[in-house]
Amino acid sequence: MKIFADSALSFISERPDATERSRAWSIFETLGLPTTSDEVWRYAPLGDLDLDRFAIALVPSGGVDSAFARELRDRAGLVVRVVDGYYESSSSLPEGVTVEVATRVGSLSGETMLSRYESDTFAILNDALAPSTTVIRVANDVHVALPIVVLNTTSGAASFSRTQIILGRGSSATVVEYFEGGHNALVVPLSEYQIGDNASLQLVTYQRLDASAWHVARTTGFLHRDARLHQAVIGMGAHYNRSRNDAELLGTGSENELRTTFMGSDAQVHDLRTHQFHKAARTHSTLLSKGAVAGESRCVYTGLIEIEKGAKRTDARQTNHNLLLSPHAHADSVPNLDIRENDVMCAHASSVGPLDELQLWYLESRGVTRRDAQRLIIQGFFYEMLTTLPSDLAALVESDVTSALALLKVDE
Amino acid sequence: MSTLTIAGLRVEVAGKEVLKGFDLSMQSGEVHVIMGPNGSGKSTLAHALSGRPGYKVLDGSVKIDGVEILDLSPTERARHGLFLAMQHPMEVPGVRPIDLLLAAGADQHDLRERMTLEAQSVELRTEVLDRFVNVDLSGGERKRAEMVQLAILRPKFAMLDEIDSGLDVDALGAVARRLSLATSEWNCGVLAITHFRRLLQELTPTMIHVVTDGRVVATGGPELADVLERDGYEPFRPVNS
Repeated sequence: MKIFADSALSFISERPDATERSRAWSIFETLGLPTTSDEVWRYAPLGDLDLDRFAIALVPSGGVDSAFARELRDRAGLVVRVVDGYYESSSSLPEGVTVEVATRVGSLSGETMLSRYESDTFAILNDALAPSTTVIRVANDVHVALPIVVLNTTSGAASFSRTQIILGRGSSATVVEYFEGGHNALVVPLSEYQIGDNASLQLVTYQRLDASAWHVARTTGFLHRDARLHQAVIGMGAHYNRSRNDAELLGTGSENELRTTFMGSDAQVHDLRTHQFHKAARTHSTLLSKGAVAGESRCVYTGLIEIEKGAKRTDARQTNHNLLLSPHAHADSVPNLDIRENDVMCAHASSVGPLDELQLWYLESRGVTRRDAQRLIIQGFFYEMLTTLPSDLAALVESDVTSALALLKVDE
Repeated sequence: MSTLTIAGLRVEVAGKEVLKGFDLSMQSGEVHVIMGPNGSGKSTLAHALSGRPGYKVLDGSVKIDGVEILDLSPTERARHGLFLAMQHPMEVPGVRPIDLLLAAGADQHDLRERMTLEAQSVELRTEVLDRFVNVDLSGGERKRAEMVQLAILRPKFAMLDEIDSGLDVDALGAVARRLSLATSEWNCGVLAITHFRRLLQELTPTMIHVVTDGRVVATGGPELADVLERDGYEPFRPVNS
């Protein structure tokens, strides 16, 4: 039985660009799945990943939106719906915004997908198996008032969605890429963002998949002169949550802020990778990753700041703090720097530890129960992650995260 | 009317016995002051009564109205009416004072307004109430913030660990007046630990206890403070130490 391969080949054969897809597929077959001896995948429970548990979704099968998804929709100025990786619909378009469903497009880096992502097995699978690319464009100097919500729902299959968001110069928008569903599914989204000169993208990448899902996501921002990308990545669901969030700071004065929030319970694995690539002068990146792991869950944060020769007066900061809520939980933090320019500011800090005993005692000595003291401190730990969310979404996301936090069990 | 009775309390910290048979008894509405040199065990008493991690009770008893509180968790001790205003209260990032107080069981009716009034009464900037518990506060502001919590939670017995350090004379006066009012307002018993006599100018003690080397070595009325002022702790030191 080769359910995955058979369904993939039958999917590919019906596509107009079957030739290009077959090429990607054969590269995947040559590469095979990564193994944990590969440094980039050393923390992933790849031994548990049996692709033949998943068939490619040949048609979208839909599902019912959760209450949270409905709340998101209510706050959106534009809802783009993607089901099992298939573009399904858009609500009416705000002025200056277009949505195109492209059969075959290259990477926003200007390269083909295959050369851009040549060593990334899952990105190559995405190139072979994403039904289409949803391209959202904001015209020059347009300020989109209400959030654009890309609502990804997934049934129990293998699905590969691909999104490109292109902001013209001087424009601004808030985009939420949201993922839910995915019971016993493999979900492999690939997104790219091009932020034009002096444009500003506030992005929320919100993963709320079923606890059985395998989620292997990759996002890349390409920032031009004085562009801003503020990205909040929130990972709550999935059995294995792989989230790679990269930014290329190509234009002078561009700025990237990335805040990654995640919480793990049971046997969940959160595997977070970042690459902030400073290629131009006076570029800034600020990265803050915070996670809490309970039960037997694990998290690993691996971040690379790379500064190219000539990227003078670059300022890059990377911070990672993890809370251990159980003696059986585990967190690793692996910051890396690759700096080829002298005139830069660069800093990184990380910590891993349990809840502070004295803070707990302080609250208890006021009459707060231990459980409430734990809850308050955990919420407090995450507080700063939620403060920079777009204001029209802050309350909604905060209450969703807070209720998820309240469910985390602390084992002593 | 409530009674706090400490009898024969022995406490070990970091492998060293610091309290070596401490006795003290007090009633609601009274003000008891514990004075003593550095290292005599004054702060250890306050922390041990509040169940601070690392403070090991070797022997003795602490009862509020006959209930042995040493058998209780720190939360239950607080809920039995014991409050500790700390010398160095912890910062709790991301947690607001009002959320702490609600979780501690404070009545939510007009809570924010009552906090504002209490802050004003001890000359604490009211902006502090909207920030995070003790984060970025000076030593003196933390002391005053502790007083706000105390006044909202209205304990039967309030222990104040070195409440006067870090406060200027005016702030100290305001804190002392607030405590003095608490003794009549809800009949709060006050157990104040201090090095200094200044606090006593506005907070009249019922009793003063002199502590050296982990025990009460002298007990008397307010006049004892004058003796300490004149002669220091030297006459009270145990002969063998």
